[in-house]
Amino acid sequence: MVKEESPQINRRTTRLSSCTTPNSKASPEASKATNRSHSLSINDLNFRNEYITLDELINSFPGRRAKIIELINLLGPLNSPITPLFVYGSASTGKTNIILQIFKHLNRPFTYCSCITCYNPRVLFESILNQLFLHRKNESNGYLSSKRCEKPSDFVNLLREALTSLIDSLKGNVGKSGSKKSSSQVNGKMVYLIFDNLELVREWDKSSTILPLLFNLYNILKMPEVGIIFVSKSSPDTFQSDTGYAEPFPIYFPDYTEDDLRHIFMKNQANPKLYSSFLDLVLRPFCRITRRVDELSTAFLPLFKKYCEPIGDLGTVPSEDMKRKLFSHIQPFISLTLNETFSVPSQPFVKASANKDRRKSIKKMFGVSESLDVIDFHMSTSAKYLLISAFLASRNPATLDASLFDSTGGSDIRKRKRKSSERSKDQKETKELELLMKGPGTFPLERLLAIFQCITSVAEYSPVDEELQNGGLGLEGPDSGLMSDILLQLSSLCSANFITKGGSCPLEGSTRYRSTVSEDMALKVARSLKFPLSKYLFRR
Amino acid sequence: MGHENPAEQAKIILRTRLCNPSFIFSLFSQSPDSNYSKLKYIISSSVTEACNNSVLLLGPRGCGKVAVLEQVLEELLKEHPDMISVIKLNGLLHSDNNCALKEIARQLCLEHQLLFSKMASFDDNSQFLLSMLRECGLAHKTIVFVLDEFDLFAQGKQLLLYNLLDAMQSVTSQAVVVGVSCRLDADQLLEKRVRSRFSHRKLLFLPPSREDLERLLEHILLLSTDSSLPDDYTAAFNAKLLNILADDKFKGVIDTLCYSDSTVGHLLRFLFSAVCHMDMKSGFLSLENFKSALPSIQRQPKLEALKDCSVLELYILVCMKRLEVKELELCNFNSIMKEYKSIHDAFQTSDYYARNVCLRAFEHLLQRALISFDDNRGQGHSTEFRPVKLLISWHELHQGLKSYRSCPVRSLGV
Repeated sequence: MVKEESPQINRRTTRLSSCTTPNSKASPEASKATNRSHSLSINDLNFRNEYITLDELINSFPGRRAKIIELINLLGPLNSPITPLFVYGSASTGKTNIILQIFKHLNRPFTYCSCITCYNPRVLFESILNQLFLHRKNESNGYLSSKRCEKPSDFVNLLREALTSLIDSLKGNVGKSGSKKSSSQVNGKMVYLIFDNLELVREWDKSSTILPLLFNLYNILKMPEVGIIFVSKSSPDTFQSDTGYAEPFPIYFPDYTEDDLRHIFMKNQANPKLYSSFLDLVLRPFCRITRRVDELSTAFLPLFKKYCEPIGDLGTVPSEDMKRKLFSHIQPFISLTLNETFSVPSQPFVKASANKDRRKSIKKMFGVSESLDVIDFHMSTSAKYLLISAFLASRNPATLDASLFDSTGGSDIRKRKRKSSERSKDQKETKELELLMKGPGTFPLERLLAIFQCITSVAEYSPVDEELQNGGLGLEGPDSGLMSDILLQLSSLCSANFITKGGSCPLEGSTRYRSTVSEDMALKVARSLKFPLSKYLFRR
Repeated sequence: MGHENPAEQAKIILRTRLCNPSFIFSLFSQSPDSNYSKLKYIISSSVTEACNNSVLLLGPRGCGKVAVLEQVLEELLKEHPDMISVIKLNGLLHSDNNCALKEIARQLCLEHQLLFSKMASFDDNSQFLLSMLRECGLAHKTIVFVLDEFDLFAQGKQLLLYNLLDAMQSVTSQAVVVGVSCRLDADQLLEKRVRSRFSHRKLLFLPPSREDLERLLEHILLLSTDSSLPDDYTAAFNAKLLNILADDKFKGVIDTLCYSDSTVGHLLRFLFSAVCHMDMKSGFLSLENFKSALPSIQRQPKLEALKDCSVLELYILVCMKRLEVKELELCNFNSIMKEYKSIHDAFQTSDYYARNVCLRAFEHLLQRALISFDDNRGQGHSTEFRPVKLLISWHELHQGLKSYRSCPVRSLGV
């Protein structure tokens, strides 16, 4: 429904497909045909039959007119050489989309590689070469790349070979067609290499060699017919290297302003009047938090539904009176939504396609509190106990374990509490600060297992009976046959990132663990087990 | 195509020049004391006198080391055909010995129409190299090894350098090793056994002087009269350009440009931007083009990122700044949230958001590289507990806040 959102979603799906299979979306039969015939021509290096005019291009990106014209100027007239460009700006400002659309407009050959999908040098190299050699992975070639290429030196040799032959055929193409232009034919004899999401390369193992290589690629190739465009979320000054590199030409995409955002959200609305009155209410407060289109659009979608609830017919033009009524209706929801993280996960690796459960559990791990009181994922009882004991081991000082879990059970805690309050206020504050700074503590496996045994044995009896069972608790653990299960549970909790494995302690040499769950989450788990967690939690 | 429009043609000509380093540095090849003449003398004398030699070309990036070398080699290949074969290696690609030898063998085979085997081992390749050196020496043919990014070859055991330079100690071989590096201390990186075999010739490439720069500008931008462009257009273009070049305002622009970086590479990027934005209607470069090109290449990424921040993100930055003023040794998300709450309590601002919303804003700041995690310690911790630091100065933050249109933080007494 929101226009800017639809290209967003489109972009996610078409980013790769738009370059490897240029027309898979537009005309399925045509792409099937090319798939079947296996013979790709150089004209497949652009968007075939998808020419758009400059006006269409500018109109589809509100607030980006100046940037589009700047980019087109930099790309220049046909067959003009270009220095490497570096396009940067924060997430969801339309960098990739605009560049790809400009190439659609100019109809020039290019290759596109995103460093998200090409996650290591070899995949990146082979993806570029596949596109240049007009090679497509399919059943008949066993989904293999055209060339196997791991080393940068092989890559540069193969790249040069591929580019030379491609440029030669492009020149032939120009000569054949003469002056007459058909829409399916690529323009010019320049080939552009686009590298998207370059900031991710910094995290790669070999980033110290790959980054200078990519930045110096233009100078190494020494081919004026090649244009290189980098797209990155972070600015050029964050790409450091020892001896530097040939600096590319920087182009900056600023975040959208509030007015731009209004234009973006007003695009393709069924009822512009209604939506405009909705935006009057929500846009300003939300812009104080974030101006990212993707986050805003996910926040606005449910809000607008809420806004429309009182109206039966969505086509009506709201009167002033109606607007006031709708305003009082939506008002409480705005402040509620403002204080919620929109459901778009901030980490790029969490795909929107992930199922709901997973996303929620991830949300929890990031310490997001949910209004619901139930945990919405399944976990065995022993895993829950393990989670709680890990939480306790991380939060409580190890010296207090004996007094918390010994024969007297949790009754001692009150005395402890009073004792701590007797301390001077300063000391308490520094302690508190330390906890804030240091976060949950680490603990060895033995301590976790000891606490686990203590709390499971307590739980076998109802809390009322606890006083009667003095003495016998420490001895009666779960039988040792369960132990292997427990270790298995522990490792699965580790892999689910509820517990992290830290480095080994330099003195003891054993691996240390740390619980990463938030207190809300631990309390929720405890509630589901009817376990009195707060009783065992040491508060300073 | 494009024959109709002389302006477009002129644009293409200028862009082609800007992207062609050998055209740009050909200006300096005439003068007798230039690096070009010195380098040409060194290489040509070792070619004609059949001796071994080695030389280092040092200087910052964008000063034309490789461009001058290429020009020299091209010239010498013309003067002494069939007496020189050039092997080009790049430290970024061939710093690994195995790889380097393979590449040498490949290029030698290509040069001498031999069959190159991909499967050849390291030993085979080094044997091949030695025998090729001997054969070429007997045929009075010089092999020129060009090692770009020379400092990267000096990593590790320097086996390749040792092998090359050691082979050059014998009478039969005839080779020149040219190292190119932007590290001025590149020769200090060499091991003793390599250094003793290296002749300590160094050519220093420096950014051009002011006079050279002006000559360079004319050399690049003036259109030649014998091109396919109409004569009247060329004349008008050149007259207008000379006018601009003599303008004091233009000299001011060039001064600010050279103030930060006076290498040729920097100048070329500047000119590229000016040429790209040349007005196609009038068809001439204007002073405005140059003026607007200056800010487009001298970017201030941190200030740009600050301008993009939302109000909440600015709040977090201000909180961090206040914590920094308090001189706490560590700062993480939790302590920021405490400070945020205290600001809210003290000033009763309208912008008080839930913790998770703040956490996301915090993550945005990390993405914008305005703040960063302090070190790699505490990898296992979640984001809230990892210590962070501010990457912008007090001055920058203040400037950013001032330029913000609806800055609410002014009331906060920062």
